[in-house]
Amino acid sequence: MSTAGATATFVEVAKSRRWRAFDWQLLLYLLLLVGFGVVMGYSANYQSIGGESGLSQTVKTLIWTSIGLTLFFVAANIDYHWLQTFATPIYLAVLALLIATGLIGTNLFGAQMSISVAGIDFQFSEISKVLMIVVLAAFLASRRERIGRLSTIVGAGLLMALPTYLVYRQPDLGTALVFVAILLGMLFMSGAGIGWLALLGGATVAVAPIAVAALADYQRQRLFCFLDPSADPQGACYQVVQALNAVGSGGVLGQGLTAGRQNQLGFLPVQSTDFIFTVVAEELGFIGGMILLSLFALLIWRVVSVGWGARDAFGANIAAGLGSLLLFQITVNIGMVTGIMPVTGIPLPFITYGGSSMISLLFGMGLLQSVRVHSWKPTF
Amino acid sequence: MSGFEASPAARPSRARFIAAAVIATLLFGVLAARLFQLQVVDGARYAAQAVAARTIEMPIRAPRGLIFDREGRPLAVNTPSWTLFARPADLPTGEADRRSVLARASLLSGIGLVTLQERLGAFSGSPFELVPIGPEISRDAALLVAEAADQLPGISVAAEPRRSYLDDTGAREGELLAHLVGYTGPVSRSELKELSAAGYLPDDVIGRDGVEATYEKELRGTYGSELLERDAGGRPVKVLKRLSEPIPGKNLMLTIDSRIQRIATETLKWGLEAAGVAQGVTIVMNPQTGEILAMVSLPTYDNDKFAAGISAADYAAYLNDPTRPLRNHAISDIYPPGSTFKLVTGLAALEEGVTTVAQRWPTYGCYQIPDAPAGQCLFDWNHRGFGPLSIVDAYAKSSDTFFYQMAVGLGVERLGGWAEELGFGAKSGVRLPTEAAGTVISKAWAQAQGRPDVFTGELAMAGIGQNAIAVTPLQLLNAYAAVANGGHLMRPMIVRGETDADGNLVREYSPEVIRELTASQADLHTMRIGAREVVTTGHATNIGTLRVPGALSGKTGTAEFGTPTSQGVLPFHSWFVAYLPSKAGATDADLAIVTFTYSAVVRGNVSLEVIKYFFQQYFNLDQDLRREFQVNAN
Repeated sequence: MSTAGATATFVEVAKSRRWRAFDWQLLLYLLLLVGFGVVMGYSANYQSIGGESGLSQTVKTLIWTSIGLTLFFVAANIDYHWLQTFATPIYLAVLALLIATGLIGTNLFGAQMSISVAGIDFQFSEISKVLMIVVLAAFLASRRERIGRLSTIVGAGLLMALPTYLVYRQPDLGTALVFVAILLGMLFMSGAGIGWLALLGGATVAVAPIAVAALADYQRQRLFCFLDPSADPQGACYQVVQALNAVGSGGVLGQGLTAGRQNQLGFLPVQSTDFIFTVVAEELGFIGGMILLSLFALLIWRVVSVGWGARDAFGANIAAGLGSLLLFQITVNIGMVTGIMPVTGIPLPFITYGGSSMISLLFGMGLLQSVRVHSWKPTF
Repeated sequence: MSGFEASPAARPSRARFIAAAVIATLLFGVLAARLFQLQVVDGARYAAQAVAARTIEMPIRAPRGLIFDREGRPLAVNTPSWTLFARPADLPTGEADRRSVLARASLLSGIGLVTLQERLGAFSGSPFELVPIGPEISRDAALLVAEAADQLPGISVAAEPRRSYLDDTGAREGELLAHLVGYTGPVSRSELKELSAAGYLPDDVIGRDGVEATYEKELRGTYGSELLERDAGGRPVKVLKRLSEPIPGKNLMLTIDSRIQRIATETLKWGLEAAGVAQGVTIVMNPQTGEILAMVSLPTYDNDKFAAGISAADYAAYLNDPTRPLRNHAISDIYPPGSTFKLVTGLAALEEGVTTVAQRWPTYGCYQIPDAPAGQCLFDWNHRGFGPLSIVDAYAKSSDTFFYQMAVGLGVERLGGWAEELGFGAKSGVRLPTEAAGTVISKAWAQAQGRPDVFTGELAMAGIGQNAIAVTPLQLLNAYAAVANGGHLMRPMIVRGETDADGNLVREYSPEVIRELTASQADLHTMRIGAREVVTTGHATNIGTLRVPGALSGKTGTAEFGTPTSQGVLPFHSWFVAYLPSKAGATDADLAIVTFTYSAVVRGNVSLEVIKYFFQQYFNLDQDLRREFQVNAN
């Protein structure tokens, strides 16, 4: 599709305001999730940092959410086809950002993960997830004639390999795994040869031990805590043990917002980030946890349904990528804090405190909305 | 699989969408099931684990019991003391930052930086524990540190009760009663192994001397405990439950009258100074009950220094002092009793029929030891002899040769037996630490020195309290008290009972009898007459002219000891033991006193002069019959 064509479509959409196609449910679930995240973030920092700081963090989250929602609407209004033409520059930009992060990034928990821009730490690995979905969607759409061939999988794998390696080197094992999950999910949904795909999946599993061996000791220990948290309850597995205690303490109804003892007494060292779900589980109980899970399920249902209704392969691929990202992060994050997945440091979408993740995800959801809006076929 | 290939513009295959939906449903199902398991099925177990991990049982210290004298004057009290603490886990981790925090703490507290660093470095427990790095800082310093808390992460101050020791005037002065009240000190690491079972804490204190040590159990009370919730850093956040209330330690009232203790101390100090003697003991007792009214052992030490945490230099000075100020010479050391022991020999001779009251015995300038070659004789202190004497006269004049004959007549077994009957050779059981048992003549005593039996000469010497006899001053006083009270050998008492917080007696301990003497009242009476004669007509008539309210009885004693001076004079211990009714018109003696002075080289009996001075002070007499001491040049 030509640039001119994309621009024309954009203008057309913008002028015609075809809001009837707008997925209001998608927006509703997003707002509910974001609101949920704001409240839980506030509670997580209610006492351990002090009410004032907790509030300033909440204010920050609200600012990021506003930026994110603005980007959501902007993206929703863009005809996503327009982005397809930019796939190559976007890919180069992703690589440049990730290399820059490796060179000048801020040291956070011993890892080079973010770059400070005007005083705000920005983790480019977060936006690169969404951008790589666009890149991969464009690539797979361009090969839809030969989608079943091995070369599709090799090509997509090579495209993804470089950014995956770069984030793995930061070291950010979690994001690297998200890239792999996006790759596999998009290949599967775009119709890649199932045999080749199985082979790639097998290869990933085979490579896993090598990747694990390359990890630092502390990362490796944390990784294996889920198998037996009692192995080192005071050391590497401390977080897992405390998280399990917190989740279990929640019971059916929870201990009440800002009243979770494990949370408020600081037994969950990074409770507002990757372990935020423990706060949800402890304070809001099984009911609260199920409400959050249901919101996620509804959101993914909307993503799948947009993909199903997409006008073309590019749009469907974007939906597949976003759906893979969400499903993987939700599963691994909640699995991690409930002790059935290794601890890898993957944020819970919309709930984990962090501007980069929030803004990137909302932007991604905006693209999804765009796919939805631009797949609507007027019947006149 | 390849709907796409067949129709490029078509949507992804239905099969893969269904597969994706199945996978997503499965994953959400697993998460939901896991949540159900953790929160609904096993929720209670995890909740219990979480509670266990963040709760801790902490002891609640019981306030240590106070100590009063018999008039209700406080002698040992608890006062707040400010201590500077560091919690290693909360200190900055960087070497430079940590140093600057300690430097600031040093500046505010007035304790050297090096000292703080050393104390912190010496600690080897959990980093969440509070390490006392500055004991006994001033209240002002504590306030300064508390105000600067923001800039001093990991540093805190806390007020802890500390023992303060007071004298008869209520002033903080530890020397007057150090041996009796004792002091408390931190439990050592090695002791803790045993003591922790009894509820002692690593930073606990325990009584180290005096009543603080012997009544540790009563004074300590029972610690309570409470369940605390703590945060991840180990800091207590709130009290969940009181598990047991602490029971405060019992407040004790000593039998000691600190005013009498003061007089006994001052008068003994005068005697020692005037005679150039380094060590001495005075004990005052109520002979009817065994209650100790005063017990002075000089030189003494300052227990208040120990309460504050004694410096190594001060402690070494005490340990290296040849006069051993840390020892209570009144009960922990044994000395030859000299002529005061004639009470035992005399009573035994009467009881065993060696002599009658009326029987007169020849006395000599030098007594020929039976079975020994001619010329081997034992001198009387009076080298001319006294002529024939009955037992009362011999006792009053303190004839040595009379009592040699009594001892030889008794033999080892009977003399030793009566010494034991009167409490010698065994601990009295007074509840003070490190009491000595003493030595009584016996075959075993000789055999311990590698001889088959006691020599007759040794037996004779034992009759006048030399050689094979060694006693504590308390044993001697207690034997005289038993004779004075009509034959009840009382257990000397140091604690009179328990009081309320204001020092009012609420429970009185009963006096305890060690044994009723088997001696007849007639023979006890005879010995009391002898003791009365000592001050009226005999050896110590000078003190007899003191206008004390009741009839004074007593006995002198001297025992040569050690190595001669450059003038060839043997230093000697001097004793004086006395008893009397302290009220005019009373007949029962209720005041008994012994003074012992160690190794004098002056003329006269230093102890007698001390007791004379004591009575002058105690009864507020306007007489002063003290003699000046002259160096004995033979």
